[in-house]
Amino acid sequence: MKIVVCIKQVPETNDVTIDPVTHNLDRRGLAGVMNPFDKNAIELALHLKDTATDDVQVALLTMGPDDYAESLREGMAMGADEGYLLSDRAFAGADTLATGYVIAQALKKVGDADLILFGRQAVDADTGQVGPIVAEFLHQPQITYAASLRLSGKNEVTAERLLEDTKQTLVAQLPAVVSVRSELNTPRYPTPRNIQLSFEKPLTIWHHDDLDLDDSRLGQAGSPTIVTKVYAPKPVKRELTPLTGTPSEAASQLIKALKGRQLI
Amino acid sequence: MPATTAAAEKLLLQMVDDYTTREISPEDMPMDAAGDFPAGFMQKLTDTGFLGIMLPQEFGGAGFGPEVTAAALNHIARGNASTAVTLEGHFKTIDQILKFGTPALQKQLLPSANDRIFAFSMTEASGGSNPMGISSTATREGDHWVITGDKIMITNGGLAQVYCVLVKTAPKELSVFVVDQDMPGFSFGKREDFIGLRGTPVGEIVMDHIVVDNDHLLGKLGDGGIIGDSAHDDARILMGAVLTGIMEHELKIATDYAKERKAGDKPLTELQVTHRKVADIAMRKETTKLLYQRAAQLKAAGQPYSEEAAMAKAHGSRAAVSAGDDTLQILAGYGYSREYPVEHLIRDARAMEIAEGTVEKMRSAIATAEFNK
Amino acid sequence: MSKPELWVIAERRLDHIEPTTQQLITKAKHLAGDQFHTVAILFEATTDHLENELTAYGPDEIRVVRDDRFPTATDAEHADALEQLVKKYQPNSILFGATITGRSIAPRLQAKLQTGLTADCLDLRFDDETLVATKPSYGDNIMCEIICPDHRPQMATVRPNTFVAEAADGAAEVTTDTVTFHPVDRLQVKAAVPVVNTATTVGDASRVVALGRGAASEATIDTATKLAEKLGGRIGVSRPLTDQERFTHDDQIGQSGNTIHPELILNFGISGAVQYLVGMQDSQTIVAVNSDKDAPIFDVADYGYVGDAPAFMSALLAQFV
Repeated sequence: MKIVVCIKQVPETNDVTIDPVTHNLDRRGLAGVMNPFDKNAIELALHLKDTATDDVQVALLTMGPDDYAESLREGMAMGADEGYLLSDRAFAGADTLATGYVIAQALKKVGDADLILFGRQAVDADTGQVGPIVAEFLHQPQITYAASLRLSGKNEVTAERLLEDTKQTLVAQLPAVVSVRSELNTPRYPTPRNIQLSFEKPLTIWHHDDLDLDDSRLGQAGSPTIVTKVYAPKPVKRELTPLTGTPSEAASQLIKALKGRQLI
Repeated sequence: MPATTAAAEKLLLQMVDDYTTREISPEDMPMDAAGDFPAGFMQKLTDTGFLGIMLPQEFGGAGFGPEVTAAALNHIARGNASTAVTLEGHFKTIDQILKFGTPALQKQLLPSANDRIFAFSMTEASGGSNPMGISSTATREGDHWVITGDKIMITNGGLAQVYCVLVKTAPKELSVFVVDQDMPGFSFGKREDFIGLRGTPVGEIVMDHIVVDNDHLLGKLGDGGIIGDSAHDDARILMGAVLTGIMEHELKIATDYAKERKAGDKPLTELQVTHRKVADIAMRKETTKLLYQRAAQLKAAGQPYSEEAAMAKAHGSRAAVSAGDDTLQILAGYGYSREYPVEHLIRDARAMEIAEGTVEKMRSAIATAEFNK
Repeated sequence: MSKPELWVIAERRLDHIEPTTQQLITKAKHLAGDQFHTVAILFEATTDHLENELTAYGPDEIRVVRDDRFPTATDAEHADALEQLVKKYQPNSILFGATITGRSIAPRLQAKLQTGLTADCLDLRFDDETLVATKPSYGDNIMCEIICPDHRPQMATVRPNTFVAEAADGAAEVTTDTVTFHPVDRLQVKAAVPVVNTATTVGDASRVVALGRGAASEATIDTATKLAEKLGGRIGVSRPLTDQERFTHDDQIGQSGNTIHPELILNFGISGAVQYLVGMQDSQTIVAVNSDKDAPIFDVADYGYVGDAPAFMSALLAQFV
């Protein structure tokens, strides 16, 4: 069985600021780390590898500049078997659609993935869209925000998904695309020794010409969306509505107000 | 340095930071209060491979070098100095077996250093800074040695399973043997109730006619003094790193507090008295860091590092106590409260003015080294 | 020439309409003015009449498509059905709730249509016929305005409770339509069980009952637990309470704990130290109860009560139906 976990490298902290002159995002000095949610997806893959009776190969795949190899190494230090880095200037500036396209094309080349895993979303852009986009491009079923997942038969997984107030149980025939919730598991730490040994595992870098790509769907040209403005959020100005009277009177004023806001 | 080494070191420190924030830091205050680490804590640390950070790969370790090993303890100590000191005691012992043990002894012992703690014991009731004053002995009986004696104030004493022990093999001859807690005649004695580094067990072992093979001798007969000095040197680099971590912790507490608080209607960050204290803490932290990094760098390059290691510890221990005192003063009442960690950081730092050689002894060593230049 | 269509994709929540749908209809009407024809798209079973929960909010049209397989349809099946309608009507823009369901179906549809989708929006406006969607990034530290100038439809998912639903005059025209349901047998919903509370951590909860020093007794914590259950939320605490055995660092709100932005947070006995406030001030609706009228928590609250927190909590719990 082959599992491919798609990961992203993100800035180490979300404390980003806007350059007051250029109005661009000031990313100076921000070290890249693996998107924390992606570690849950890797942990799920490694758990399946640890517990399955058949041999399970876990590959990692990411798209980004060359330093994204660090996150691949970290994932391999956690226990993944190999890594793929999709790196080319032509891929830069991609929105979720153009990103999903390159990843889907790369997954075709990796070939025979039974399970393609994603973290719930990246902590920088916070979209969670690439998983479903890839699933659509590969014509595979998707299970998003999985709260649990197990192999339930040959080529079959059973997963639970928590909607706002419903727990769904879903059964998918593989291959399938799954994105996972962070509460699914606690990712293991890479051990110091496995960090060293990860540098002996294969890391494949694919550039533009290594993949079968339609250039009009790449990078900025292939991205329907454009960011026109970036700004720091203004602090929310709140008008304090006092609740008055006895605790009981105040509580009933609150209940009325919350009902008006559809909060209860 | 090869690119892969740099990348691996970066990943190691990233992992150590992550683990420290989530698993080690939260236990700092409880460990100080309880005078022990919580159940399962050492096992988790062991399972995550911390014991093998500097153990060569041929023995199943990670084989990281002296500089990044020290940096790792620096990072751990930002959240919990006791845990860093426990690792320091383990690493310095492994270092001596690597330096002085025969290949056969290394092959026999070191693979277990990934999941068993090692400790180095010198002190006895009759002699701390004067090794010749010790009374533990090893007596040759045929192919074997019989070891008898009582060692106290051992870092990780009671926790460690393997001990390097300094004993007399003749009235004027000091040697080091390796003993294991599973050997007949080995038992644990009293555990110390110290005022600082309370999460690091410090205790006593009692050796009653322990029989060991000749291959459990480290180095040659009579190398005890050399090995003891070497263990001190290696420990002092790591203590410089731990002290740097403590000061980074203190600095963070001081600056976080100053950024939030006002005296009257003026923010603390605008007061000159705060500037002076924060600047002093930062300078003490940075000088200690440079000193331990320099010593580690010399060690990695195969150069002598004894004097620099002594400086890192002698300077760093007083610096961290003073930095803690300044931090306490900035926090005033909160600093004096046991609800905040400042007072216990001072107690933790204070231990290192004594352990692995007092600051007085360290100054003598530095001065002697200077006279000899 | 007929007006371009602005769609709101209605979402089902158990046997009812997900409130975000109603909120989005209100917002769509405000955005539309005379320029757009607002349409709520509703997929339901043949016996359902969920359109009755939409009419009061006054979209120009409610377009209902019925098939008994819709209530348990998967993301791909929904996206396929939507694609058929999009091809038929060519809407200008499509809005989804940024619920789990909305955030799963919308990108799948986006990929089919090869168009742009902006996630989890906090504001929307039109410049002519271009939808300008405001989306937070970097954990809500940065706001981005995003447009999709050359592709149609324009798509966005919108964070629940960002807008307030308002009943509106005018009779919505209820129409019906049909699509071909293409079942995807490789994925089956085997069971769907209602659960009051799907949040497992305070960071994940949409409703949070936060406790501080002024609400720390055993009895008060019990009341808070019941209140959190009723709300379908979780308990969070300020730093001092993490010293209690039943709370850990994971339950802590604030700079050194979790930064959260739930839809609703009720703060009991919390004065509001700076480290605490930065961890929760982006919550959508903030309620504070504290006996100190000068407590800083009131500076960031929408609703405030100066008084005994435990007494207020008991009263609130008693009045909860």
